[in-house]
Amino acid sequence: MLAGIDYFIVIAYIIGILILGFYFRRFVSSSEDYFLAGKSLPFWAIGMSIVVSDIGALDFVGISGQGYRYGISVGNFDWIGSVPAMLLAAFIFVPYFWKGGVYTIPEYLGKRYNRHVRTIASLTWLFFFAVNLGVLFWASAVLLNVLMGWSIWSSIIITAVVVGLYTYFGGITAVVMTDVVQLIIMFVGGFTLVFLGLEEIGGWEVMVDKITAMGPEFSQHFKLMQPADTPTPYPWTGILFGLTFVMANAYMIGNQAIVQRCLTAKNVWHAKASMIMAAGLKMMIPVLVLFPGLMAIIIHPGLEDGDQALPMLIKSILPPGLIGLMFSAFFAGLMSSVDSILNSTATIFTKDIYEPYIRPNASDKHYLAVGRITTISLLVLGVATSKISSQYPGLYVAIQSFLSYFQGPIFSILLLGIFWKRATQWGGLAGLVIGIVVAFILNSVDGIFTIEDPFLYVSWWSFVTGFVVTIIVSLFTTPKTDIQLSGLVFSRVIRK
Amino acid sequence: MLNFNWLQNVSAEQAKIIFLILFGIIAVLVLSISNEYIFEGIAKEDRRWYMNLKIWALLVLGSLFYTYYIF
Repeated sequence: MLAGIDYFIVIAYIIGILILGFYFRRFVSSSEDYFLAGKSLPFWAIGMSIVVSDIGALDFVGISGQGYRYGISVGNFDWIGSVPAMLLAAFIFVPYFWKGGVYTIPEYLGKRYNRHVRTIASLTWLFFFAVNLGVLFWASAVLLNVLMGWSIWSSIIITAVVVGLYTYFGGITAVVMTDVVQLIIMFVGGFTLVFLGLEEIGGWEVMVDKITAMGPEFSQHFKLMQPADTPTPYPWTGILFGLTFVMANAYMIGNQAIVQRCLTAKNVWHAKASMIMAAGLKMMIPVLVLFPGLMAIIIHPGLEDGDQALPMLIKSILPPGLIGLMFSAFFAGLMSSVDSILNSTATIFTKDIYEPYIRPNASDKHYLAVGRITTISLLVLGVATSKISSQYPGLYVAIQSFLSYFQGPIFSILLLGIFWKRATQWGGLAGLVIGIVVAFILNSVDGIFTIEDPFLYVSWWSFVTGFVVTIIVSLFTTPKTDIQLSGLVFSRVIRK
Repeated sequence: MLNFNWLQNVSAEQAKIIFLILFGIIAVLVLSISNEYIFEGIAKEDRRWYMNLKIWALLVLGSLFYTYYIF
């Protein structure tokens, strides 16, 4: 499927990213440089990095496929499912994390509650990231194989070598700055596909008219709000309670890969600005990843598998050269996801497990070396275990579900921890553990929920459980003193 | 209760209004944040109007409101 010019573009992209990432090794001389870029990065780079690390190669295909099946209601995840949470993060949570001088979210939880909460949170993230890496490698490589005919192991090895080299030497500075280039590649490739697709169809209004005239099953394709009794996974009740109130906030506020980028900002204004800029860029993501699915309804109607929508559209619309650009965009998505996982995991392992439990009070050079060794070890583990995931087809979905079990409870204790001084260490621990247990039960027992794939409802009810349990237990246990809570809880930011 | 059956009489159009009101509330909250907090990290003599993050946030919220108003 690739022409000579396409190969040239892809190879030029890979070499360019490697050189750029390698260049930033000169800025790393301490563990703070490696994990937090010495708190020196500008808002625009961080904002772009936040967005691109959130969009992987699988999302391009998966969201287009969902758009093909369900219409623009899938866009809720990038619009209301991101923007309000990012503003809350920008104005409330990120400044506290940044000023608190923490490296990780579990570290904040440890200071606010106790080391048990910190350990549970960090082990959960470590497990999620470690298992996810191998699965992500394999699933993305299979996708690239199907789309472009590139061999599976070529994709995995090239990604591992390129990302491994710049992440090992350049730390988060290299991760963020290569993400900037990867975002530009993604936007140019994605917008070109949308522009050419709409031109082929005859414009936006023609597309809307044609799709809505295709039958009753397409009547809701241009409505963001789906009725509460819709059989799709996106009823408005789930979007409001599960997505807007819980999952979005948990992801933007409690996800190490996202928050760690804001902690690299050169000052607290840049930290806030980075998140707001990312929110602005997020508004455009559905145009890139969802609209191709809608266009494919007209150009390739009747596809049995919605995930074929984007590959079919690329084949039928893009000329040689632009296919190479789009392939580079997929590669960019894979690389940005992998480098985020590597750096975040190395940070959590070094700061939340190794430093407190294995070797406290070691030199800074030692922790820098541990961070780098963890990065490479994780990469080798990810490549070695990637093939295993092919034997378990449901593993990718299972891992994403596992994250949804955890997000509601952790957001409940983050929210109470920062806004309610009375929340105690035992309240937070009980809320986290019982919330996770309830999420597992809700997801395991058949027949509780009436909608398909009820992860939005599970998130909401596990959040409510964690919230209520934390309050009840806190009321019966001793809170920390004001001095112990200094800088960890919310104070007035509203105009007097 | 777990399936929000008690909200099934609320139509999608009414739900849309709930979301638009939510955006309005967020905008009011953003406007009520003190300028000192917004500009924290930038020296007073270096502050410019375009660095006011309330403006950035309201632009993003405005585009979100417009998107949900249309669809």
